[in-house]
Amino acid sequence: MTSIPRAKAFVLTIALPLLYLAGVSPDAPASLTLVSEARAVVGAPLTPVSAAGVARRTTRRVVVAESSATQASAATTATAQQQAATAQQQSATAQQQSATAQQQSATAQQQAAATRPAGAPAVGAVVATLPAGCKPETRSGVEYQNCGGVLYRAAFQGNNLVYVVQ
Amino acid sequence: MKSTVHRHLLAALSQCFAIAALTTLAAAAHAQSAGVAPEAKQILKASTDFLASQQRFTADTRNTLEIVLKTGQKIEFNSTGRQSIQRPNKLRAERTGDLVDQVFIYDGKSLTLSNPQEKIYAQVAAPGTLEDMLDFARTKLDIVAPAGDLVYKNAYEILMDGVTEGIVVGKAVIEGVLCDHLAFRAPQLDWQIWIQQGAQPLPRKLVITTLDLPNAPQFAITVTKWNLQPTFDAKTFTFTPQAGAKQIDFLPR
Repeated sequence: MTSIPRAKAFVLTIALPLLYLAGVSPDAPASLTLVSEARAVVGAPLTPVSAAGVARRTTRRVVVAESSATQASAATTATAQQQAATAQQQSATAQQQSATAQQQSATAQQQAAATRPAGAPAVGAVVATLPAGCKPETRSGVEYQNCGGVLYRAAFQGNNLVYVVQ
Repeated sequence: MKSTVHRHLLAALSQCFAIAALTTLAAAAHAQSAGVAPEAKQILKASTDFLASQQRFTADTRNTLEIVLKTGQKIEFNSTGRQSIQRPNKLRAERTGDLVDQVFIYDGKSLTLSNPQEKIYAQVAAPGTLEDMLDFARTKLDIVAPAGDLVYKNAYEILMDGVTEGIVVGKAVIEGVLCDHLAFRAPQLDWQIWIQQGAQPLPRKLVITTLDLPNAPQFAITVTKWNLQPTFDAKTFTFTPQAGAKQIDFLPR
């Protein structure tokens, strides 16, 4: 994972279900700030969950904040903090991870707290790419990416590989 | 004098064409106002029934997905894929995009999403049928199988739910195959489907236009190859992590 060069960091504030599909390149232009994508299914299964064609046609919207590699940490921080509220609300999901995951991340947070740099991105924020210069680090059997003192944990959000700030 | 006659002839001819075109449009408009044309329903139903009756098949596909930037500019992304399906409870979908290779495997008990290049995968227990698994992936994990509607045994009901208008546009050729071209409208999306003519009415292309987004972006999928007699082996629907692969979690939706 660390071997993949990340030229840019995209901070996601809302679920980005098909970024993989969309394949938004790390080298994509800076104008990729708010992205909506076409639906890839006509309908939803006729389960009790789907309110007959209403819920299912909810549009997926995607917010991507861009920052260049050189400003990665600063910009990521700024955007991440601005959007932290949204990110945390919407990834109340992210925080409702399994009990073990929470324990593990709690441990990681405690451990990281001591060395957590000022202005680090908000805990629970979800990013699509890591800042430059991350190193893998295993804590309590879980692999994290340590990026300048901030820990990130890989996860799939929909089809997309993302990193959750610990 | 002669040239004048020619001009008149040409004018008459082009009028004929114009009238023919208008008549077609008028017919189409009439069909639209009349709801869903019975012939459109019939062709679609024959196709979904045919696919539902296939116990095992592979489909090689080419996808395009449009996204809309904040500026209104549309950007198109492309990928190719192969879907292998064995009813009632096996699926493998491989997708190759510009940046990421991804494999999705459902073995009847669990589903696995894997990015081989990055050597990571996530695995979770899944319901026991293809249809329930697709529902689960979509509602719980936010994983959408593009054009996944077509895989459901009750694909016709799913596709037609909420449809207000439907017409047979006419004949078309997709990937060299003669098809019927159908067009449907639902409250927030228009969709078109091209269905192979003849004894095997397979869907050959699907286009979905998202109407409630600026500039109405489209998703399109074309089946470049259907195989209704595929050879699957033990590995097709079994996930084996590659050496050094790390397991990660799915974020709940």
